[in-house]
Amino acid sequence: MRIGLVCPYSFDAPGGVQFHIRDLAEKFLDLGHEVSVLAPADEDTPVPDYLVSVGGALPVRYNGSVARLSFGPVVAAKTRSWLSAGDFDVVHIHEPLAPSVGLIALMQSDAPVVATFHSAQLRSRAMQLGYPLVRPGLERISARIAVSEDARRTIVEHMGGDAVVIPNGVYTKVFADAEPEPRWRGTPQAPTISFLGRLDEPRKGLAVLAAAAPQILAAHPGARFLIAGKGDMSEARGLLGDRAGALEELGPITDEEKAAMLASADLYVAPQLGGESFGIVLVEAMSAGAGVVASDLPAFRRVLDDGGSGFLFTTGDPESLATTILGALADPAETQRRRAYARTAVERFDWDRVAARILDVYAMVTEHETAEPRSLLGRLFGRGDGR
Amino acid sequence: MSAAEITLVVLAVLALAGFGLWRIAQRLDRLHQRELSSRATLDAQLVRRAEVAAALAESGTLDLASALIVGDAAWRAAVEARRLVGDDTGDPASTDDTRGRAESELTQALRAALGDTADQAKIAAEPEGADLLERLAQANYRVQLARRFHNDAVVQIIQIRGTALVRTFYLAGRARLPQTFEMDDDLTVRSEGARP
Repeated sequence: MRIGLVCPYSFDAPGGVQFHIRDLAEKFLDLGHEVSVLAPADEDTPVPDYLVSVGGALPVRYNGSVARLSFGPVVAAKTRSWLSAGDFDVVHIHEPLAPSVGLIALMQSDAPVVATFHSAQLRSRAMQLGYPLVRPGLERISARIAVSEDARRTIVEHMGGDAVVIPNGVYTKVFADAEPEPRWRGTPQAPTISFLGRLDEPRKGLAVLAAAAPQILAAHPGARFLIAGKGDMSEARGLLGDRAGALEELGPITDEEKAAMLASADLYVAPQLGGESFGIVLVEAMSAGAGVVASDLPAFRRVLDDGGSGFLFTTGDPESLATTILGALADPAETQRRRAYARTAVERFDWDRVAARILDVYAMVTEHETAEPRSLLGRLFGRGDGR
Repeated sequence: MSAAEITLVVLAVLALAGFGLWRIAQRLDRLHQRELSSRATLDAQLVRRAEVAAALAESGTLDLASALIVGDAAWRAAVEARRLVGDDTGDPASTDDTRGRAESELTQALRAALGDTADQAKIAAEPEGADLLERLAQANYRVQLARRFHNDAVVQIIQIRGTALVRTFYLAGRARLPQTFEMDDDLTVRSEGARP
């Protein structure tokens, strides 16, 4: 099958959507399909050879945050030539409402279009202004996929219609096979608790963990907090005062280090405050066999099977987080039981399964694509029944 | 303004309005194409599901009573019930819910015959059993997908055809107003491999 994937966000600063598209493209290539990815990327950004760049992206403030997007006549022309050169059986556009190359491809594609909605929050103001404009585009989407129940609810409420839920994929084996790193291993006297995410982005919740830390250190004076991610953590250190030494700053880490950290630490903590549609890192932690402690956001609750695969605490509440962590450390048997359950529960997020379900969707939109072509005039004036 | 100028302005306005209407008609047309192909896909998937159900009934992995009931329901769904495509009478009155009822009955027959996951584990232990269940799981999942995509297209057509512009200017032409396809497709089949 010839598959065209379109990514609205730039590969210069890859995030969740870009990684998803990269993994999906590589999985399809593995399965023997022809795949091309269209995305913004600067000339000097190293990109895989299946990626076609529409050129650099501009940082634009849209829908409440700054995103790197591509638009304009040059982008439109490049999109058109990519579509005609690729002669795709299906064009799969991610986050089609982002005002970028995806929306342009949507309006230009003659092949059936599948769209994946990643975001769980569309700010209503942008939607109210933009919706009448993008509506003809939305009508061109033959199949809508939402990555989570929350993303699906956003679609139902804001656009009407429905979507099928297919979760984000994870190469669970990579995490399951990760070698633990001895220096991140905890002991009963000095358990290790890991965190991953931008350090100075309040939404990621490092401050909640830092505020919970004193209570944990009171019970386990040797506890070590492994803090990985980009950004400045002086604020978090400030919250701990003279115990700030318990926070071990790992800085930005590679994918291998991430897998090793998740496989070594006693607990992985996800104290996010909101804005999470899916929670891929929870799946990664579950695959690596980490004990997971996460805020009880609806998305996290669903990934963790309501706590079957980990421990949930009240979002944003350091008191609740501290109690939950201490509870998990005090009952290793229960923690072990949930970790074992998580190892099997993550199978539904494995790329093998996720890619197969996406291919099912492709099959549904391509099967009768050229059933009976009929002209506009035929419908208006012909004697037909709408066929 | 001279008469010529007024004529020119009127013509320009008319041309613009005409262009706008043409664009709406095009949108509607594309939706109707989509509805047509999604309906054909749904029909094909329903037939495939019934075929797998029939194969399951014949395989000897079900008890005899279940096999007869599933086989009968599969026959009615795949052979006797009305097709969703290929009927060119164009008569909206012929669009009844017999097919949906037949498909729902097949789902219900399968649900009763397959039982819960423990019962299905026994079927999976039989030769062919696991493979048939796997195929049924995939066929039913594809029916769910095809039905959702089809109904999505139908709902969008109904929305746009309800607008005043489309009704006033008869932009829908003679195209039949499509209907959503309603059926019970809620079936949990044990699957080792790729599907839930």
